[in-house]
Amino acid sequence: MSNILERMREDIYNGNVDEVAAATQKALDEGMSAQEILNNGLVGGMDVVGRDFKAGILFIPEVLLCAKTMHAGLEVLRPLLAESDVLSLGKIVIGTMAGDLHDIGKNLVGMMLQGAGFEIVDLGTDVSPEKFVEAVREGANLVGMSALLTTTMPGMKTTIEALTEAGLRDHVKVIIGGAPVTAGFAKDIGADAYAADAASAVDVARGLVA
Amino acid sequence: MEGKTKKPLVEYLSDAQVERIHEKSLGILENTGIQVDHEEGLKALEEAGAKVDYQAQRARIPRGLVTRCLETVPEKFTLAARNPEKDCPLVRGGRPYSRNGGGADFTIDLETGKFRPLLLADVRSYFRLMDALDGISFIAPVFGHDMPVAGRDILMLREAFAHTDKPIHLRAFTGETLKYMFEMAAIVAGGKEQLKERPIVSLLEAPISPLKFLDVTVDALWLCGEYGIPLDVCVMPISGGTGPMTMAGNIQLFNTEFLGGVVISQLAHPGAPLQYAARPMAMDMRTGFSLAGSVELGIMATAGAQMAHYYNVPISLHGPWSDSMTHDGQSMLERTYLTLMAALAGANVLVGAGMMQQSLVISHEQLVIDDEINRIAFRTVEGFEIDEERLAAEAIARVGPGGNFLADPHTMKFLRGERYVPSLLYRNSREAWEESGSKTFVERAREKARAILREHEPNPLPEDVSRDLDDLVSDALRSLEK
Repeated sequence: MSNILERMREDIYNGNVDEVAAATQKALDEGMSAQEILNNGLVGGMDVVGRDFKAGILFIPEVLLCAKTMHAGLEVLRPLLAESDVLSLGKIVIGTMAGDLHDIGKNLVGMMLQGAGFEIVDLGTDVSPEKFVEAVREGANLVGMSALLTTTMPGMKTTIEALTEAGLRDHVKVIIGGAPVTAGFAKDIGADAYAADAASAVDVARGLVA
Repeated sequence: MEGKTKKPLVEYLSDAQVERIHEKSLGILENTGIQVDHEEGLKALEEAGAKVDYQAQRARIPRGLVTRCLETVPEKFTLAARNPEKDCPLVRGGRPYSRNGGGADFTIDLETGKFRPLLLADVRSYFRLMDALDGISFIAPVFGHDMPVAGRDILMLREAFAHTDKPIHLRAFTGETLKYMFEMAAIVAGGKEQLKERPIVSLLEAPISPLKFLDVTVDALWLCGEYGIPLDVCVMPISGGTGPMTMAGNIQLFNTEFLGGVVISQLAHPGAPLQYAARPMAMDMRTGFSLAGSVELGIMATAGAQMAHYYNVPISLHGPWSDSMTHDGQSMLERTYLTLMAALAGANVLVGAGMMQQSLVISHEQLVIDDEINRIAFRTVEGFEIDEERLAAEAIARVGPGGNFLADPHTMKFLRGERYVPSLLYRNSREAWEESGSKTFVERAREKARAILREHEPNPLPEDVSRDLDDLVSDALRSLEK
């Protein structure tokens, strides 16, 4: 394994944005393929980050910075990679349900998903089923809905029904979460998945687009 | 030298640090300002001298205006009860009161121990239980899943009036329902003027951290002012998420938000009763969860009490609260820690009894346990009497070296009143414990809850008042359905 890629993985872990961009260029100059740098440097670096996050060694803001660092390297590679190699994992429309103004959890999930390579369309808080449908119509393969209040949870069901009615349900996977939401509720309302926290939201979303 | 011991007080901030936080809050309000999603609110702020950007809904508030508004906030007020014996006067240096944690709508079933949605029948038994417990001074709403969504807050208040004569704390879902609830309170109080005189309900409103006041919050602040209803300005930035990572920064932010609430309220209704409800939280940086039982919460809230004392307004803090899923050791540890910290910080109100898993779950037996924790906290800050007789030099002389105090008249005289008498703590022999079924603390709490629910009948509303309330509730529900 090349020394430069090992350093790159460490720089990603330590959030050294400038170093990773420069190292990516250097690796290219030394004749390494973009694919190799991507797989063994950038993605390899994030694998270690993910492992240590799950082990409770890294904290969320550190993971977000690592992801940003990885993206700095990816930008250098982008023109050299085939579109299919760098295409985002998918586009996810996220929002907090109508009547609900609590958004820190939804924002956190958005940032984590973005870090993991998803494209985010954030509809904000107090989002009606119609707004979700509209956003999905403009192109998305995932929908993420969040609620903190039990009273706004029925909006998740209504939104899924609205997606079905609009003929869009088969085009998207629906993932839901929030403090009072449970896996059982997700099943009852016909969502594709439930995530208990921000970290598992990333795993679940990845699983849905795999 | 005679009389009560001094009130114990935990403080973190020096006087200079308190002033520094206050000064910086003024600076933040002047330079960064607050977001106010309320056209009339922005207008009122502009007329009073704030620099308003209507596009961004941002008001930058000059320090003179904040200072002026602080001057009109009352230093004390009373949460009145339908039964005046249960009034809760909130005054600096006065005894603390407590309420349950509001807003939850799940429970751990008292009979089966299973986690499940809260239902109207539970809401009723929960209110009845709180009515019977001395360590719960007033009552906050919890909601049943089988209650209609539109008007659920109104129906909750109707149930509360039927099941307790203690003061009632409200949660409003909309400005419209809030108005109906104040009208209901006026019926029970005997008129709008009587309600102003003796507000038997109070309200909580929270700006969204950081620094954002929604239209419903402005409406509620103003409606409370109009009706003379006491309001908790509940400031709850989540350190690391919606507030700075540092404790100092999170305190700085919530203090600034409190002052923003003071300005919006006092501008429209000078003298409107406000409580500083410092509810700082902390994000678990590993998972993103907002923690209810963290040690930092106790520290930050204590600093919040100092800021409230500086402004000379009543202060409400987290009391029994926990992140735990059930009635386990973690739950007891977290809630005892927070309750004692809040009481020792000089809080007027200890908030949280009965609630677990942050603010999602309530439990009858936890409520009974928190009654005990609250009463221990009340006893702790009450201190004790010191005078010639109580110092007992004469009794010590009478008994002399090697004797005992059991039969001394001094013991008989002070036998009752000196000691806190617990209702749940086991203090007998192992033998007696085994004979009575080797019951744990939580099992004893469960039995006490069941016994109270078998026997306790709340003080009913007069029939005509009940009828008038029912009529108003029907009107309200009909109007909300439209």
